[in-house]
Amino acid sequence: MAAITVLTPTGTLGYGFGDEALARGMALGPAVIAVDAGSTDPGPYYLGSGKPLVSDVSIKRELTALIRAGRQAGIPVIVGSAGGAGSGVQVDRTAALVRAIAHEEGLSFRLATIRSDIPVERAKRAVAAGEIVDFEAGVPLTGEMLDETVALVAQMGHEPICAALEGGADVIIAGRACDDSVIAAFPIWRGADPALAIHMGKILECGAFSAEPFAMDVMLGTLDGDGFLLEPGSLARRASVKSVAAHSLYERENPFRQSGPGHEIDLSGCRFEQVGDRQVRVRGARLVETADYRVKLEGARLAGYRSIAIAGIRCPTTIRALDGILADVREKALAYFAPAPLGVVFHVYGRDGVMKELEPETAVQREVGLVIEVTAGDQELAHAACHQISGAMLHYHYPGVVNTSGNLAFPYSPSDLDLGPVYEFSAYHLMKADSPTELFPIAYEDL
Amino acid sequence: MTDRLLKDLADIVRSKNAGPYRITFDILFKDRERYEAVRSTGVIRPETVAAAYGIAVSEVSSFFEIDMANAIKITIRRPRAQGSSGDGDMYGCQHHVPLMLIRVPVA
Repeated sequence: MAAITVLTPTGTLGYGFGDEALARGMALGPAVIAVDAGSTDPGPYYLGSGKPLVSDVSIKRELTALIRAGRQAGIPVIVGSAGGAGSGVQVDRTAALVRAIAHEEGLSFRLATIRSDIPVERAKRAVAAGEIVDFEAGVPLTGEMLDETVALVAQMGHEPICAALEGGADVIIAGRACDDSVIAAFPIWRGADPALAIHMGKILECGAFSAEPFAMDVMLGTLDGDGFLLEPGSLARRASVKSVAAHSLYERENPFRQSGPGHEIDLSGCRFEQVGDRQVRVRGARLVETADYRVKLEGARLAGYRSIAIAGIRCPTTIRALDGILADVREKALAYFAPAPLGVVFHVYGRDGVMKELEPETAVQREVGLVIEVTAGDQELAHAACHQISGAMLHYHYPGVVNTSGNLAFPYSPSDLDLGPVYEFSAYHLMKADSPTELFPIAYEDL
Repeated sequence: MTDRLLKDLADIVRSKNAGPYRITFDILFKDRERYEAVRSTGVIRPETVAAAYGIAVSEVSSFFEIDMANAIKITIRRPRAQGSSGDGDMYGCQHHVPLMLIRVPVA
């Protein structure tokens, strides 16, 4: 098998890469440009709302550079998890930017879009047939949870992307996709060992995060019959055994097994070897096919509407009395607005705002930052309750009060800010698919 | 022999989401010698990590010693799902401090 080089410009499309790194990377003769554009990492909002994770301005700017480079070299450009969550509206939004780029740059090419939305009825049938198992949500998926779900996608493997390449696509905008599949698809389509290609995909998907110094920047992987060679695009970075091995652990639980649709990759026999100063060679991944082909579902449900207030507290007597004050204002707000349910959360920064019940330290603070958060069935009620709580706290009287003119230092007027709809993950389960491509329809468009 | 803080023995101590329901911790050492020195004390294990965070050891979902990377990896279940009401760390990337302050008897 001839060596195949994949160029990944950055860890998340829209987060940037160096012009020099891209130019140098392109000079190394890649066969494809492949990049991931999303994840569940930024939270459930982007899936639920359909809003893009990264601005159109940044996506268009980077896609313009990549499509221009791809067309010049005559190689495909593949984007996975378009828009952040890879939902249909996000695929459409990214595809619209691609059309604008083709028009503005005077480029002609074949665009393929691959959708990953799962109709709720399809998932319900799978629930009824016992074809859905929990992944890590901790609860089984039910019809009721699916009824509450406003956006449902599945992570595609490499197969739908290979099908789009087979269909002659020059630019592929894919919905939710396993991040490694986006990078592995082209080499697998050209006959590479899927185990090596998927392992390479897992390392390359974060761009130059596997290099040192790490950054959102260009990374290249060259796959041959025996393994793959990693190298950053920029000469200011290097790949080292340490940087690559460290990255192999990043944001995943099991460093020796990597599950994907239809397969598990066994990494226990992996070896990393330094080649020269800037390259690392990786060998040894093995693939085991699973009995069923299961895709991971990701769903989001509308949890209500949120308003917040931000305030500082400097007075030591107020800080000492804080827990009692918070409990009392919460209780009064719940009673005042009953029977409408309210979610009231206090983030007390300087104390346990980040880790909550996992925070072991109990030292008394000089100053704390307070975020009052209220979630309710509609925005008006959330705002009303948030203001009721922030107002009650401002003028709260407690035993030992020294300063009677106000307990909260607000940095803003208005003190209460509306954050709009709030989403929560509702599905994070594995669903059996009849084939690797049945859930992921492809549409072609000659621009 | 005196105790030292894990952060002073490791090259990197970090936390990060591993999906919406887990936080995974990576401890990376600069070389095999330092990794072995810490690993062989047996101080970094599910029980001590659970104690550092005040959680039951059953909330530790996995623990790996990874020789090829000179690394130790521990994963816990999130007390609440990423982005759900009350979550204070969307990326789970600021949960490493109790771990890095564990005392390890290494000279």
